[in-house]
Amino acid sequence: MAGALIVYTVMHAAPGDPALAVLGENARPEAVAAFRYKHHLDEPFAAQFWIWLSGILRGDFGLSLTIAGGIPISQLIAARLPITAFIGLYAVLIAVAISLTMGTVAALRRGRAADTIATSVAVLGISMPDFWLSYMLVFAFALGWRLFPAYGFVSPIDSPLGALYSGFLPALAIAAPMAAVFARMLRTSLLEASSREYVAAARSFGFSAPFVFRHYIFRNALIPYVTVIGLQIRYLLGGVVVIERIFGIQGLGSLMVDAAFARDYPTVLACTVVFLTVVLLVNVVVDLICVALDPRRST
Amino acid sequence: MTPHRRQLYARLSASFLGNSTAVLGAAVTLFVILAATLGAALMPYGPDHSDFLDILSSPSWAHPFGTDSFGRDVLTRVLYGARVSLAVSAAGIAIAATVGTALGMTAAYEGGYADVVLMRFADLLFAFPAFVLALFLMVVMGFGATNVSLAIALSYFPIFARLARNMTLLLREEPFVQAARLMAEPTPRILVREILPNIAAPLIVQATIGIAFGIVIEAGLSFLGVGVQPPTPSLGVIMADGREYFQRAPWVLTMTGVAISCALLGLNLFGDGLRDLMDPRLRQRAGQ
Repeated sequence: MAGALIVYTVMHAAPGDPALAVLGENARPEAVAAFRYKHHLDEPFAAQFWIWLSGILRGDFGLSLTIAGGIPISQLIAARLPITAFIGLYAVLIAVAISLTMGTVAALRRGRAADTIATSVAVLGISMPDFWLSYMLVFAFALGWRLFPAYGFVSPIDSPLGALYSGFLPALAIAAPMAAVFARMLRTSLLEASSREYVAAARSFGFSAPFVFRHYIFRNALIPYVTVIGLQIRYLLGGVVVIERIFGIQGLGSLMVDAAFARDYPTVLACTVVFLTVVLLVNVVVDLICVALDPRRST
Repeated sequence: MTPHRRQLYARLSASFLGNSTAVLGAAVTLFVILAATLGAALMPYGPDHSDFLDILSSPSWAHPFGTDSFGRDVLTRVLYGARVSLAVSAAGIAIAATVGTALGMTAAYEGGYADVVLMRFADLLFAFPAFVLALFLMVVMGFGATNVSLAIALSYFPIFARLARNMTLLLREEPFVQAARLMAEPTPRILVREILPNIAAPLIVQATIGIAFGIVIEAGLSFLGVGVQPPTPSLGVIMADGREYFQRAPWVLTMTGVAISCALLGLNLFGDGLRDLMDPRLRQRAGQ
C-alpha cells in the first residue's frame, strides 16, 4: 500500500502531460479537456490517488493510454500474468533441480574434484548476465542443434506440453544464474549443518550416514536454502522482463517494456505494482514453508 | 604511520595474499579496469571509426572481436563501452553507498521515529524486483546514462542503509562511542570519525558486489534500449546492436558478453574473497 503510494507519487511527478503524449502536441483543447476528464487528470492529487488505489483494490488499474488504447489494464495483465507465472515457476523448478544436485554433490565431496568443479561452475554462472546467456543458449540449442525454437512461445493454456518445450530455453536462461546462487547457498548450509552437535550425537547413536544426512543435515539446511529462493524472486522477475522480450514471450515483462517505450504511464505503473505484489506474496509463501520445515515446530 | 598500524597492514596483506579467491578476483578486476581505462587508447581504431569495406567480419588478428555492421572494431568499442558501463555503475553505487550509509547510520544512531520511517522506506524499495524498479525509474526520469546511474543508486541504496544501520546498532553503545559522546563531540563527527572507520570494511565489500550488480542493470536497461542511448557505446548498447544481426555475426554479442562476464567474475571473486578475509568463521561460506 505504501509502495503503491510511492510509485504513484513518483510517476505523478514525471514530466510531461499524458494527455498531450496520447493525443499529440497539437491536440485541440476540447479533446485534451475531455481526455483529462475521462482519466481523472483534472482532480487534485489526493483524489486521483484515491481513485487509482480504490480501483486497484477492486482489480481495476484504469485504462491503458497508448499501447492498447482504451483497453482496461487489468485485462492486459490478466492475459499476461499466467504466462509470466508459468515461465517463472518453470525457471525456479529448473534452478531447484540443478542446485539440489550440484549443492549436495559439492557438500558431500567437499574439497574433491566434484566440489571444485561445481563451485567453479557456480561462480561462472553468477557472472553471466541472463540475457546474454539466453542468446548463447539460442546459438547452441536452437541455431546449432535445432533442438528448441529460437523465438516464440506457446501459451500453457493452449498446449501445456508445447509451453514446456518452447519455454525451456527462456526458463533455463533465467534459471542458470539462480541455480548457481542456490547451489552455493545449499553447499554452505549443508556444511554448516553437518558440523552441528546434534549431527555428531546422531552419528554416535550409530545411525547410518544416509539416515543422518536425510533427517538431520538436509532438512535443517533446507531452511536457509528456501529463504534464498524467496530472496532471489526479485532477481528472477527482473530477469523475466528482459528474457520475455528476447524470446518474444507475451508476458507481463514484455508488456511493461512495451509500455515503457510507448510512455504508457498507467500501464507501467500497474506492472510495477503487480510485480511488487508478486514479490510480497512469494515472501509470505516462503515464510510458511520455512515454518513447516523447521523441525522444532513440528511434532 | 604508527608501528602498530604498519603491523596491522602487514598482517592484512599477508592474509590477503593467502586467499587465492581474493587475489584472483583482484587480478581480474585490475585487468578489467586497466583495459577499460588505458586499453582503449592503445587500440589503433577509434570507437566510431567505421570501415565500410570491412563490415561484419569475423574475429581475426586485425579485429580480435570482429567488426560490426558499420565496420567498427568490436574490441575497441567493448573497451570504450566498458569504460562507460563501469563509470555509470560506479557512480550509481557511489551515490547509493554515500546516501545509504549516511541514512542507515543516522537511523541507527538517532533511533526512534526517524529509524522506523527510514527503514520501512528502505524495506519497501528492497521489496521491488531491482530491474523492474530500475525500468520504472527510467520511464519516469527519461532514458540516458545519468539516469541509469540514478536508477542503480535508488535500487541499491537500501542494501547499504540496512548494512550500515545494523552495524551501527552494534557499535552505538561501545565504550569508545560513549566516550566520544561524553566529550560532547557533535553527532556527525561521532558518526564519521568514530563509527564509520569501524564499519567501512563490510561496506567496501558490498560496494564491490554492488558494482557488479550495477553493470548488469546498465547492460540490461541499455540492451532493452531504455538505458544509455547510442551513439554512446556502453556494453549494453553494443549488445543491443549485436542482437540485430546475431545470426549473421554472432561474435559481436558473444564477445561483448564474454567481456561483461569477465568483469563480473573478477568483481564477484574479489568480493567473495574479501568477505572470507574479514570473517574467518565465514571461510568456505558463499552465498549472496
